[in-house]
Amino acid sequence: MLSCKEVAERASALIDGELGMFDLLQMRLHLAMCKGCSAFVRQMRITRDLTASAALLDDQRADEVDRRIAAILSRLPDGRHTGP
Amino acid sequence: MKPDMADETALVAQLATGDRAAFECVYRKHNASMLRICEGMIRNRATAEEVVQDSWVAVLNGIGRFEGRSSLAGWIFAILVNKARSRAQRDGRMISFESDGEEDGLAAAFDGRGRWKDMPDLWETITPDRIVEGRNMLAHVAAAIDALPASQRSVLILRGQQDLDPSEVCAILNISEGNMRVLLHRARLSVRNSLDAILAGSRS
Repeated sequence: MLSCKEVAERASALIDGELGMFDLLQMRLHLAMCKGCSAFVRQMRITRDLTASAALLDDQRADEVDRRIAAILSRLPDGRHTGP
Repeated sequence: MKPDMADETALVAQLATGDRAAFECVYRKHNASMLRICEGMIRNRATAEEVVQDSWVAVLNGIGRFEGRSSLAGWIFAILVNKARSRAQRDGRMISFESDGEEDGLAAAFDGRGRWKDMPDLWETITPDRIVEGRNMLAHVAAAIDALPASQRSVLILRGQQDLDPSEVCAILNISEGNMRVLLHRARLSVRNSLDAILAGSRS
C-alpha cells in the first residue's frame, strides 16, 4: 500500500499518463480510499491545465509585435521578409 | 508521421521564402516563452531580449538547414538555449539544468508515516478568471512560473506550455528523462503551492 507521500510523488506521472500498470493500480487503490490524495491529484490537474492556459496570456500588443518583427527582419542580410 | 508534420513542412517552406505572415505566426507562438526561458537563464531583461532577437535572426538565416529531424519549435528553442548558454558563459556563469537538489515543495506536508498533516483543499472555487488579490488565476500562475529556478521554469514552459516531446526537451536542456520528470513535478508543486496559498488567503 502506497503512503500519501508516495502518491503525491507520483501525481505528475499519473496525470501525464506515464505510470505502468502496476503503479497505476496501486495509485487507483489508494485514491479510491483517500480523500486527501484525491483532492491533491485534482489540484495538480488544475495546476497543469492553468499552466497551459497561462501561455495564452502573453498575447502582445500588435504595434509592439510589429516593431520587434521589423527589427529582426532588418538584420537579415538579403532583404528577405519584406512582403505583406 | 505526426498529423501536423505536413503543415509544419509547409510553414518551413514559407519561412524560407521570406513570408512575413508565416514568420509572425511562428513569432507569436514562441516569442514570449523564449523570453521567459532566456530571462531565467540570463537574469537580465534587456540582455535576454537581445539574445531572443539574435535567436530569431539565426532561425530565419538558418531555416534552409532545418531538416525536420526535430519539430520546428524544438529546433527554435535549441537555438535559443544555446545562445543563452553562450551569453551566460561570456558573462562568466555556467548554466546547468541538472536537478537543483532542493527538496520538493511538499517536504513538510507529511507526518512520519507519510500521511497528510493537513488535508489538501478541494479548490472548488478556482476558475481561470477568478480574481484574487487584484489579478486572475492565470496571472498568478504566470507570476509563480517566473519565480521558479531556471531549470524548473524551462522544463515547465517547454513541456507544459509549448508541448514539446520529452526527448526534445531533454536534448535541448541536456538532461536525462528522469531528471526532466523530477523538474516538471517540482515546478508544478511550486505553482500548486502558490495557488493554494492565494486561495487559502482569500478564504480567511
